[in-house]
Amino acid sequence: MNTNNNVYTIIYTTVIVVVVAALLAFVSQSLKAKQDANEKAETISQMLTAAQYGTKADMDKLSNTEKLAKYAEEIEQAYTINVNGEKVEDLPLDKVYSPGELKRQNYNIKGGANKTADPELPVFLFKNGTVVVPIYGAGLWGPIWGYIAFEKGSSEIKGAYFDHESETAGLGSKIKDDPAFQAEFVGEKADFTQANVFDIVKGGAPKDTEGKSLKDNQIDAITGATMTSQGLDAAIDTWLTAYAKYFLENASAKQHCGKCGHHQEGEDVEPKEEEE
Amino acid sequence: MEYLSLFVKSIFVDNMIFAYFLGMCSFLAVSKNVKTAAGLGVAVIAVLLITLPVNYLLNRYVLQPDALIEGVDLSFLSFIVFIAVIAAIVQIVEMLVEKFSPELYSALGIFLPLIAVNCAILGGSLFMQQKDFLNIGEATVYALGSGIGWFLAIVSLAAIREKMSYSNVPDALKGLGITFITVGMMGIAFMTFMGISL
Amino acid sequence: MDAKLKETILNPIFKGNPITVLVLGICSSLAVTVTLKGALVMTLSVIVVCGISSLILSLLRNTIPGRVRIIVQLVVVAMMVILVDQILKSFEATYAIDKQLSVYIGLIITNCIVMGRIEAFALGNKPWPSFLDGLANGAGYGLILLVVAFFRELLGSGTLFGVDILNRFGYVPNNLVILPPFALILLGCIIWVQRSIQKDLQEK
Repeated sequence: MNTNNNVYTIIYTTVIVVVVAALLAFVSQSLKAKQDANEKAETISQMLTAAQYGTKADMDKLSNTEKLAKYAEEIEQAYTINVNGEKVEDLPLDKVYSPGELKRQNYNIKGGANKTADPELPVFLFKNGTVVVPIYGAGLWGPIWGYIAFEKGSSEIKGAYFDHESETAGLGSKIKDDPAFQAEFVGEKADFTQANVFDIVKGGAPKDTEGKSLKDNQIDAITGATMTSQGLDAAIDTWLTAYAKYFLENASAKQHCGKCGHHQEGEDVEPKEEEE
Repeated sequence: MEYLSLFVKSIFVDNMIFAYFLGMCSFLAVSKNVKTAAGLGVAVIAVLLITLPVNYLLNRYVLQPDALIEGVDLSFLSFIVFIAVIAAIVQIVEMLVEKFSPELYSALGIFLPLIAVNCAILGGSLFMQQKDFLNIGEATVYALGSGIGWFLAIVSLAAIREKMSYSNVPDALKGLGITFITVGMMGIAFMTFMGISL
Repeated sequence: MDAKLKETILNPIFKGNPITVLVLGICSSLAVTVTLKGALVMTLSVIVVCGISSLILSLLRNTIPGRVRIIVQLVVVAMMVILVDQILKSFEATYAIDKQLSVYIGLIITNCIVMGRIEAFALGNKPWPSFLDGLANGAGYGLILLVVAFFRELLGSGTLFGVDILNRFGYVPNNLVILPPFALILLGCIIWVQRSIQKDLQEK
């Protein structure tokens, strides 16, 4: 058989391409429901981890049904807000945002050619008094996203969890795999008055003699993973800036003193947690 | 001005070889002399320059969610579409090189078809997807910059290797071994560009 | 025939090692060797993908038109990898494994070893030897990967498979080791050792 014949070549290529595309489309469509269910359970376990309901390892021990049940039990309220911090609409309590949906909102936040609508940013309130918001951005090789839990009515971070699609194993992947990196966020305070809401500093954040970082909104970058750290920094800044008005308004509506750890409701004192 | 900064950035700061370490196989194997290295470098520039804009358009108007038909997300196909486009372009380049420069064709050997799996090329397309370029112009400038960065890297390594034949290298390290170590050193030197923001 | 088969299997492990002799698969060997676990996952994936794709393309070898062979090869390899990814992603039990593997998918598809062996071997040989050649090359690649990862994890993090080895003795992890350039220097040294033993590989 002459396999170098033009007609044969064209037919062969067409058949291969059609078969491959059909097979992939079929598999992807028929498995989509199952994949989405897995993805939803994973997203829930990441949010619960950020909200301090246990470590990610604890969450991974639960089955999908148990994760959903746990979430239904602990979620108090969920709604979307716009960039002015105003509530847009309530979300059903079983609604979570998949990385795909976060990506769309990311385009809307950043504006430009890919913007399809004004951003509608989700806020999740849990019964243990944490407010969880998502972040999304680009790492070195692919997208990175995650969830940051704040103390209700404050800018203090209670927990964080990040995930990625394809960062370098052992370096960039530490944003997901290294609990020590995520623990660095705990107790830090985002500075919503600045464009640079939160800083991940390459080479280490400036520290005092006791090894405590000088600024409340700075943590150390991951050594060897400069690009991933920069990407995460940019993602956090972009998203938290979009949430800034919401957090600033909530903080003034309900005063909370982060340092002494008790609530001072109704007082008119600005929280002086940040240096200028 | 933005184009210029993107161009310079993609050559030096985001250098495919020394910042991302992509496309190493052919980089190491085909850098014995400057002439062949330059040939492969030009081929890589050409392939990047054609595939990136094509993949940009495909990504923008076909693969992205809601791009082709409202509510349809074809992004699971992006890997295979990018690869197919790259493979097709490489195949065409291979045929052109074979026809017009049989000498270069035999010097490049298996590394000519392997441009298709040169991670620098696929990496270029995937980075393009990541970087959300606003228009095809930016994608093209990025492709040109990355290609030139790769070209400069392989030509400079080939030049070093040509000079190295005059130095006294231990027998077992000669050739490939010392090349790996040299590239490692060059990589460390290139890290100085990383802090520059343009 | 048996001796030839044995040669097909043993050659890629040492004498014709894909990384140190054929110079294939360098990019991924820089990216995944920071930890031993990453190197192990990558090794197993490449052995499987390399073996099976060599087998399939060897079966198709007489039908593939010469002018579009690169497209056909890559499409088949990419399709297989994506299919496996999609299937693993759909089951609750395998979802966690897929999350670990998804990082490597791009690296596996663009791994020059897979396509290099298809070009150089599978297209000209019968399915069975091609399958073995694929497996053996994956193994030879994995061997180097594990050696590099052993040193990089031990010196760069003071651990092996995430278990603390050196840190308890007050070792300060060397940050240079986890950067890619060090992997290149280490590979150079491995080649040095190999060529000191196998003098016929030395270049003039």
